[in-house]
Amino acid sequence: MSEAEVRAKRWENTKLSLSVFFANKAAVVGLVIVMIYVVIGVIDEVYPPLIGITSAGTLVPNFFNPAPSPPSLAHLFGTTYPGVDLFSSIIKAIRIDLAYSLLVVAIGAAVGSVIGVISATVGGLMDEIVMRITDIFFSIPYLVLALAVGFILGRNLLNMSLALAIVWWPLYARYTRSQTLSTKEFTFVEAAKASGVSRLKIMFKHILPNTLPPVFIQVSLDLGSIMVIFSTLAFIGFITNASIPELGYLTSLGLSYVQTAPWAVIFPGVAITLFALAVNLMGDGLRDVIDPRRRS
Amino acid sequence: MLIATRQLVKHFPLKGTGAFGNPLMLKAVDGVNIQVREGEIVGVVGESGSGKTTLGRLVLGLLKPTSGQVFFDIPDDVLQEYDDYVANNDLKKAADIEKEYSIFNKRGNSQKEIRKKTNIVFQDPYSSLDPRLNVLDIITEPITSTGYLRSNEAVKRCFELLDEVGLPRDFAYRYPHELSGGQKQRVALARGIATLPKFLVLDEPTSALDVSVQAQVLALLRRIRTSHNIGMILITHNIAVISYMADQVNVMYAGKIVETGPKKDVILSPIYPYNVALISAVPGKMVKGTKIILKGDTPNLVEPPPGCSFHPRCPVSFNMCGWTAAEVASDLKYLIENKYADMFKAETVVSTNANGNVVIKNANMSQILSLLNLEKEKTRSLAAIDRSSESEEGIELWLWLHRTPEMYQYSDRLVSCFLYAPRDGKSSPQPVNSAD
Amino acid sequence: MDYTLKVSDLKVQFYTRRGIYKALNGVDLSLMQGEIFGVAGESGCGKTTMGLTIIGLLPVNAAVTEGKVIFLDERDLIAPLRKGNTEETDKFNLRQREAVTKQVNKELADVRGSRISMVFQDPMTSLNPVLQVGFQIAETVITHQPRSLAERKLARSRATQDDTQAIVELLKEGADEQAISRYAESKGLRGIETQVLNVWRRNDLGETKKEKIILSLHSEKLGSFERIVLESVEKGKGKPGWMKIPGISRAARGVLLREGYTKAVELLSMLEVPNPDKVVRMYPHELSGGMRQRIVIAIALANNPDLVILDEPTSALDVTVQAQILELTRHLKHRFNTSFIFISHDLSVLSEVCDRIGIMYAGRIVEIAPTDVIFNNPIHPYTQMLMKAIPRIEGYEIQGVGGTVPDMRNVPRGCAFNPRCPDATEECRIKKPEMVEVEEGHFVAC
Repeated sequence: MSEAEVRAKRWENTKLSLSVFFANKAAVVGLVIVMIYVVIGVIDEVYPPLIGITSAGTLVPNFFNPAPSPPSLAHLFGTTYPGVDLFSSIIKAIRIDLAYSLLVVAIGAAVGSVIGVISATVGGLMDEIVMRITDIFFSIPYLVLALAVGFILGRNLLNMSLALAIVWWPLYARYTRSQTLSTKEFTFVEAAKASGVSRLKIMFKHILPNTLPPVFIQVSLDLGSIMVIFSTLAFIGFITNASIPELGYLTSLGLSYVQTAPWAVIFPGVAITLFALAVNLMGDGLRDVIDPRRRS
Repeated sequence: MLIATRQLVKHFPLKGTGAFGNPLMLKAVDGVNIQVREGEIVGVVGESGSGKTTLGRLVLGLLKPTSGQVFFDIPDDVLQEYDDYVANNDLKKAADIEKEYSIFNKRGNSQKEIRKKTNIVFQDPYSSLDPRLNVLDIITEPITSTGYLRSNEAVKRCFELLDEVGLPRDFAYRYPHELSGGQKQRVALARGIATLPKFLVLDEPTSALDVSVQAQVLALLRRIRTSHNIGMILITHNIAVISYMADQVNVMYAGKIVETGPKKDVILSPIYPYNVALISAVPGKMVKGTKIILKGDTPNLVEPPPGCSFHPRCPVSFNMCGWTAAEVASDLKYLIENKYADMFKAETVVSTNANGNVVIKNANMSQILSLLNLEKEKTRSLAAIDRSSESEEGIELWLWLHRTPEMYQYSDRLVSCFLYAPRDGKSSPQPVNSAD
Repeated sequence: MDYTLKVSDLKVQFYTRRGIYKALNGVDLSLMQGEIFGVAGESGCGKTTMGLTIIGLLPVNAAVTEGKVIFLDERDLIAPLRKGNTEETDKFNLRQREAVTKQVNKELADVRGSRISMVFQDPMTSLNPVLQVGFQIAETVITHQPRSLAERKLARSRATQDDTQAIVELLKEGADEQAISRYAESKGLRGIETQVLNVWRRNDLGETKKEKIILSLHSEKLGSFERIVLESVEKGKGKPGWMKIPGISRAARGVLLREGYTKAVELLSMLEVPNPDKVVRMYPHELSGGMRQRIVIAIALANNPDLVILDEPTSALDVTVQAQILELTRHLKHRFNTSFIFISHDLSVLSEVCDRIGIMYAGRIVEIAPTDVIFNNPIHPYTQMLMKAIPRIEGYEIQGVGGTVPDMRNVPRGCAFNPRCPDATEECRIKKPEMVEVEEGHFVAC
């Protein structure tokens, strides 16, 4: 095969992957929805007035008309207590939620993956100890752990993220550990050893890059789960600051009015669920692409 | 001597415990001495479970042995001195030699030196190349890791290597999944010789390839050996490949070398019984001679048969080879109950006793003797019976004591078989109760 | 000469996202009864696909576009596959293809496993790891020939002591299989002849012992439930209503299973497995590779098939074990009157057992000849180059075949081998060569 043929083959491969993904209609829908969220978050971060947001980072209460009002032209999604416009608040909240969920997953994945790979490569006693530590973390319900951390460090968004990251890393450690254990057996690792590559370098040059692709998939899927958990924590009152735009918090605001003003709960709630669902669908499509057994 | 191993042993611990609460060990390699000269291709032949793959790893230091030594680049006279020291139990002087020439205690730069001068090519081209790296990175890895060349010179060398293995230069930017099996194996070979090593281990280099591709790769290997004077250990189960490639051949069985010598002797006129059967079992009407079909399966490496590990399957085994009372008893029982059922009463019972002998109840001596006479060619375990005696408990069959064979010289080669042991007092059979 | 199988102009394609792979491009072969036919070729030549097509085990995305596979001069095995592949069908439509597969399964159900069976390469994955091997052998007999099991057991229970003594007399006089069968039929003891003969032919027992065993094959007691089950199975009119009740059908199956195990023991002793009664109760992981492959062969032979396809049966085994299995195959050829198709990439293995060998390249058979002829007088350039590439023990310079196997999506025009053939002419690049009989029994497509 000539160079041109190789390039052509690579393009063919990419087209193939894309066609597999787009064949899954649900995945495409998921992707679109996720993209919408991301775009909203980015615009809100970079140039909020584009979508008519002023005072980006806070909720704007209206104490003259605190009761929740139904959706209308002025307030597309209605308002919730205390007179907060839901439409703009949800947009603001999406940015916050996305950003912090990303932070949680990033920290958790980064820390967990490195620990997992090292633990599996070194093996022996260290591996055992790390496994028992992850066992301990698994046995504690995450809400309890997050709350405990919050009470120690202070109850704000950043600490909430940290708390969740602490809960989340053992999952990644376990995951990358099992990936590493199987990658370790590939003969290219032995070949590297025979070629004089140091153990540390083998770990980071050969093992880690080969265990990461499935981790990336897991990360994107987890974004949805973390968002839900994040909102749950805010919902039960983790944050002390009353004017942070956050989807779970918004949902809790409307809770007492659920009978009379259901929209106050529905809209923020759906915003959370929709995202989690979309991420899941998208992940399905991603799995179709990555799984080598692609059917014709 | 480029590579010399002494009493190399590798036992792998298994989960669980055996008798007496000792941990179970898989005796993969059990006392192997193998030697390679510069520019020589030494073949290691064996079936699955013979230990040849483990040996390949040990010889490069990829595995640490349970005991034993591997020397690299050791002058012949120093090696001889070492053997003498060990024979005379002069351990301190032996340890000095070990410190200098052993590959196992090296760290840092001296370790890198060894890695520069040795390398390995694996069997499965699909898993021996990192799928995330392109060919250039794969081939230059040993060059830069050992500091053989600097990175810009390494790239130049990579292109030279691609030329040498017969791949176009623009393959350097391809990834493993864009190569065919034969091409992958050539890349693996290029990586193997990248630092111009003096010694290369090839673990089944062509078993995963089609016959036509295999021919090309083997021809390439021969060319490389000649032009660079690289000593090689070629590990394979394919006798024909060994016959084509190797100068010296070692045959392994159950973790030990059972026959070693020049190729023309070991392959074309084998003498170790397993080897004879192995060569005759090679399919193809080109192989002369009748086929010897062995019974049974490859041995259990956790509890290998005592004495000579091949004795349960050996068609010519005799009294010293390692028969235990249990084996003799079970063979006798089988014969009495089936083939010779007409001769014996139903109440005949065969068992073993504390002396390590076989006891038969409810039978008479003449029956037993005639059975032994009829069966002694076909059922080899019966050769372990030295004599018999009769008492109220029944007939007791006294067995010869078994021994473990060493390597015996037979013209140009070494064989681990009693059939070729020198007829001196040390290696003749002894009965169980030598006092009698 | 009876033909077991006649394949004519078989063309099979695989439909994938990456394009259409033309796996078989016009395969012709005739298999005679009782012969072992070897199919040799390298990876990608289509030999496995051919084996799978004959037995109808193609994956969903495969389609037979042309050709016939006539089995025993009676039926075209791939007719259902072809019916599902007319011009109108959308070859990429998954649901349509699954419907075709279902149809194939239905129509071949009576043939697969009983008259044609297959042995695959890796014995560990061919056997179910959670079932005893005896069960797996018994299962195939129960599924396809439950009547034979019923007959066996009933024969044993109906036979009298006089009957067995008479049979022993006949055997001692040297009666052959037909004579014993005639005797059995005349006494209404159908099913006893195989049992008797299998014992008599064993060579690990003394004659007296064999007699004793045969003499004991009479007046076997049957429980009343057993009797009812066996007799209704014997009549062969399908399951009576009451036997379909869940609990009872399980028990009925148990009756047949016990007899199935007995038959399994017989089969294993025929395959030279030591201690067959113990082995039958073991699980696959407790057995070595060679033993497992024997079990798979036992399953394949259990129903006395007319054709057995072996796809690289010894490639996963050690050389000495392979020699055992090949020896076994030679014995089997004489015992049963089955035809075998032996697929392998290793020509030396084929030279050991096969009567005739066919060489495949790029989806076509390019040369067929008796084994000796192929080795001593190969005519097709590919065969010749293949012979030169095989390393032999006596050692001589081996030569590879230049170039690579063609991409099966774009098979070269004309003779598929022409890009690599040193003797290629213009004609080779245009026309596809037909199979010509060069000498008696030696066909070449060049």
